[in-house]
Amino acid sequence: MKARHSVAPADRRRHHGKRQENFWATLFLAPALVALVVLRIAPTISAIWSSLLRGFPGGIKPATFAGLYNYRHLFGDVNFINTIGRTIVFNLIINPLQIFLALLVAVLMIQRIRGANLWRMLIFVPVTIPIVGSSIAWGAMLNPQGPVNAFIVALGGAHQPFFTSPGQALACIIILASWIGIGYWMVFLIAGLKAIPDELYEAAYLDQAGPIRVFFQITIPLLKRNLLFVLVADTVANFVLFVPVQLLTNGGPQNSTTLLMFDAYRTSYGYGSRNLGAAEVTILTAIMLVFVFFQFRLLREGRDSE
Amino acid sequence: MGKSTRKSVLTVVAIVVSMFFILPALWILIDSFRPNLEIMSTMTPVSWHLIIPEKLTIENYVALIISDRFDLALFNSAVVCLASVAAGLLISVMAAYALAVYHFRGRNLIFAVVVISFLVPFEAIAIPLSQLFTDWGLGNTMIGLILPGIGNGLAIFNLRQFFMGIPVSYREAAVIDGASEPRILFSIYARMSGPALVNSALLIFLGQWTAYLWPLLLVSDNNLQVAPVALARTFGEHSASYGENFAGAILLSLVPALAMFILQKTLGNTSIGSGEK
Repeated sequence: MKARHSVAPADRRRHHGKRQENFWATLFLAPALVALVVLRIAPTISAIWSSLLRGFPGGIKPATFAGLYNYRHLFGDVNFINTIGRTIVFNLIINPLQIFLALLVAVLMIQRIRGANLWRMLIFVPVTIPIVGSSIAWGAMLNPQGPVNAFIVALGGAHQPFFTSPGQALACIIILASWIGIGYWMVFLIAGLKAIPDELYEAAYLDQAGPIRVFFQITIPLLKRNLLFVLVADTVANFVLFVPVQLLTNGGPQNSTTLLMFDAYRTSYGYGSRNLGAAEVTILTAIMLVFVFFQFRLLREGRDSE
Repeated sequence: MGKSTRKSVLTVVAIVVSMFFILPALWILIDSFRPNLEIMSTMTPVSWHLIIPEKLTIENYVALIISDRFDLALFNSAVVCLASVAAGLLISVMAAYALAVYHFRGRNLIFAVVVISFLVPFEAIAIPLSQLFTDWGLGNTMIGLILPGIGNGLAIFNLRQFFMGIPVSYREAAVIDGASEPRILFSIYARMSGPALVNSALLIFLGQWTAYLWPLLLVSDNNLQVAPVALARTFGEHSASYGENFAGAILLSLVPALAMFILQKTLGNTSIGSGEK
């Protein structure tokens, strides 16, 4: 009896503390959870629901439930299949390219060179320009009468059409996006490179390993986690690349720069097909979720191993 | 190859590489201070006149502000950003604290759901959300512009990580002293997290300052429009007058440039740590 008496108050206090904790946890989490529901979950559900309806142009008649009609329509449309294919090819090129170049630049920047901090800062400058500004800059740079063509002609090359040609427009967008992206991912990779212990390089030096062998046998394996993370994060960002397309090419010429994100926008607003646009948004979000889930796992692994 | 030769060669490579990144930015900076006619006439053929101006002028900036009212757009952007940072920080700090110090059932699940859903790029669901916002009467409103900026998964993630590094003993001592939970959060945890707070504030700020698709979808009233969309409109209307467009790009870049150079120092460490922590 006595013993129980002495335990009970502490027990009660702990119980009380637990209840209080739950109260504060709920209160502190509530705004974030409300924001989550309103800003993320509601539009996702709304898009999925809307994608199952069949709308009529102009909205004269209300939309009716039509099951997977919109998806069947999309996947039966050769233009949409081409958009998906183009978006995939675009991402298969731009992401490895940006990360590989960012890695090369990062490796260069950690060498003993004169003025490394200055060069690093200059490479980072494009990151600080909002993408509307960079799109305007590169729209002018790659104007057929612009400075890039002037350089090409001065070096004896032929005049290029750039954004005005279906064969080159998407490549121009890749250049523009990489001009911004390389400096950004460089910063992440430099942080990763600096964490590789010097002893490993010294050992390789004693083994008389050449720089290329060192790069592939020490740098790349030890940086794998960072490389994977920036690759996934870059992919997530480039899947929704929108501004240069909307501002400079409007998806053209001949649809050569129509990526999924822009297509969803154009279907919803340009053509006014809300339900078809919702189906495109649903497909885009589903693809994004796969990448983001992967990105989240990498983030957690990064935290757990620290 | 000798050590000093190697150093010189690598330095030259570094200079060439950095020119690719800096020259286009330098070009629009310089040309934003040149008369439009001069910009157009010096673009081709290649000569030093491409970046060495003959005449400097602020007429592009004046035209942009007086006739296109870019000052209004910049002001709108600033209001949206400041409000988003204030509300976003408050929400993120509270959520991060709850997820860092309390042990309740489902904590890891909530954390995962919060971060994953805020990591999905906003652009992906901007179109259906803008239709909902319009239905709710939030089209063409400041509130409508601000709201999407207040949920930032990376801010919650970073703050939580930082909070988890604060020794539990601080909290225990405060509890014994009878401090309330909000007090522990705001005067111990938040006060000790300066760098993480700055970092999160900048993430929220930059997201809103550069936002383009959302204001494009939500706002049709020119007086309420934010700077990136206003600049795009100027670009659409006078696509041949590069001077004004360049001036707008420069004005738009000043604030994020400052912010990013602060952020750059912590950027590499924010997400997947360098392992040296």
